[in-house]
Amino acid sequence: MSISADSIAKVLTQPTSGEHARQRVNWTMRIIVGVAAILAILPLIALILFVVLKAAPYLVPSFFFNNPLDTEPGILNAIVGSLQLTGLTVLISGPIGIAGGVYLSEFASPRVVAVGETVIDVMLGVPSIVAGVFAYLILVPVLGFSGWAAVAALSILTVPIMMRSTQEVLRLVPQAIREASLALGVPVWKTALFVSVRTALPGILTGVILAFSRALGETAPLLMTARGTNAENWLDFSTTMNAMPIVIYQYAAAASDLLIGQAWATALILMVIALTINVLVRGRTVNSRTA
Amino acid sequence: MATEKRSTNSSPAGAKDELAQAAARPAAQATSRAAASETDAGRLVLENVSARYGAFRAVKDVTLAVRPKSVTALIGPSGCGKSTLIRTINRMHETLPGATVSGSISLDGVDLYSSNVDPVRARRVVGMVFQKPNPFPTMSISENVSSGLRLTGGTSKSEIEGIVEDSLRRAALWDEVKEKLKQPGTSLSGGQQQRLCIARTIAVKPRVVLMDEPCSALDPVATLKIEELIRDLAAEYTIVIVTHNMQQASRVSDETAFFSMDDDRAGYLVETGPTAEMFTNPKQALTEGYIQGRFG
Repeated sequence: MSISADSIAKVLTQPTSGEHARQRVNWTMRIIVGVAAILAILPLIALILFVVLKAAPYLVPSFFFNNPLDTEPGILNAIVGSLQLTGLTVLISGPIGIAGGVYLSEFASPRVVAVGETVIDVMLGVPSIVAGVFAYLILVPVLGFSGWAAVAALSILTVPIMMRSTQEVLRLVPQAIREASLALGVPVWKTALFVSVRTALPGILTGVILAFSRALGETAPLLMTARGTNAENWLDFSTTMNAMPIVIYQYAAAASDLLIGQAWATALILMVIALTINVLVRGRTVNSRTA
Repeated sequence: MATEKRSTNSSPAGAKDELAQAAARPAAQATSRAAASETDAGRLVLENVSARYGAFRAVKDVTLAVRPKSVTALIGPSGCGKSTLIRTINRMHETLPGATVSGSISLDGVDLYSSNVDPVRARRVVGMVFQKPNPFPTMSISENVSSGLRLTGGTSKSEIEGIVEDSLRRAALWDEVKEKLKQPGTSLSGGQQQRLCIARTIAVKPRVVLMDEPCSALDPVATLKIEELIRDLAAEYTIVIVTHNMQQASRVSDETAFFSMDDDRAGYLVETGPTAEMFTNPKQALTEGYIQGRFG
């Protein structure tokens, strides 16, 4: 059946009865989703604006370099404490999480992998308050309110993150690369370490950075473990430590404009660090994709 | 069988024992491996080899003698188990979950599947080049070539440098890369990458080099270069090559083994013989049909 040139022109140019209705529906949909998108972004912009505006007056040198009980109080001990707690958490949970991910990806049998992945999923879903209550009821009675208890609680949250990210980036390493190594007579463990892990290293490190970022913002487990202190604590994990999320929590409820302002300022610092890490990670992944 | 008559295995009786030691001894030294490869060794004998993926038998009862220092091509229709068979020779087949091998494969009289042969050691003696070039993406050209030596240990740094150059020369790649040894292996063209993989394979001084459709991802010019290289390498190594391309089999190989598939999809050896004979005057009607393009 052939269509004459005349009727093709008709099909293309003559509007049909439903066409106007269709265009109206199109426009309505556009407007609805557009408004929804704006509604979604609005609170975020408001949040950033509020934090920046409220924090700005309190961002003075003494805020960064003094401790809470100094005449011009600051949060130096919380910055120092947060970096120590998250740093040690990553140092301890990093090797465990990475090794676990390597095991699941390179050594485990399919059945073990299935079980392991389920366990990781469950652990990833553990609310931070649960890790906190575990540390509070089990570890604090033994260790006291301390950096150690905080590091343990944070590690419960970061180990599965690193395990999952390590396993996932190792899965992206082509099997052909492993086979090339095995076929050269390289033992399995060396293939895993010097070929698979080496190839996936940038991705594995990205997972470590994201875990660091997660631990840095965690609040609940810290309130129940490190608890906060006004003293500056360098490397003594056996006693209480201050941390930025603790400061935000405690100062926000204080009856003092200065402390409330410092809560905003501390929030801004956390936000800037988290944002910087995100941008860095994004840059890394984009670079490795184009390289 | 023709292979028997034309066998040039004139090595002294001691060579056999030496190889047995090289394959079975826990700390085979690079030097003794090098010394042994200068003898006329590399005779591969497959007896009743079957390979399975779980319950599925992909290769059935293959018995095949491969002449040392020659090129043997495995041809046959898709899915007839050629690649599976070649992967049993360097014990790569068993690395897949559920994959098993039965029968025996011996190299100069040593059963590669005997209990005192570590698969890792077997793979040092039997090298392999894959279908798609697979240089290590994180390593430079020279690191790729030396990777096998560095990761298996036992070779000094000063030695490695010489072996890298020598291997690249043998793989006919040296002149193209000598100025840029520090650049990533993946920066090379596909054909160059494949020659890099060949250099990497021969750097660990194997007796046997397996090639699983080494040119299927390459253009005709790169293919020609690899084929010339295969001919050159046959002077030193026993080469077994799987190919889909019958012209390639006729160009590069001394012997050809033709495989087909049974009703139960298990691959089996139809016949084997000198390549010229196989392509002009095959004994089996099935072989003739395949070679003339009537099926496959």
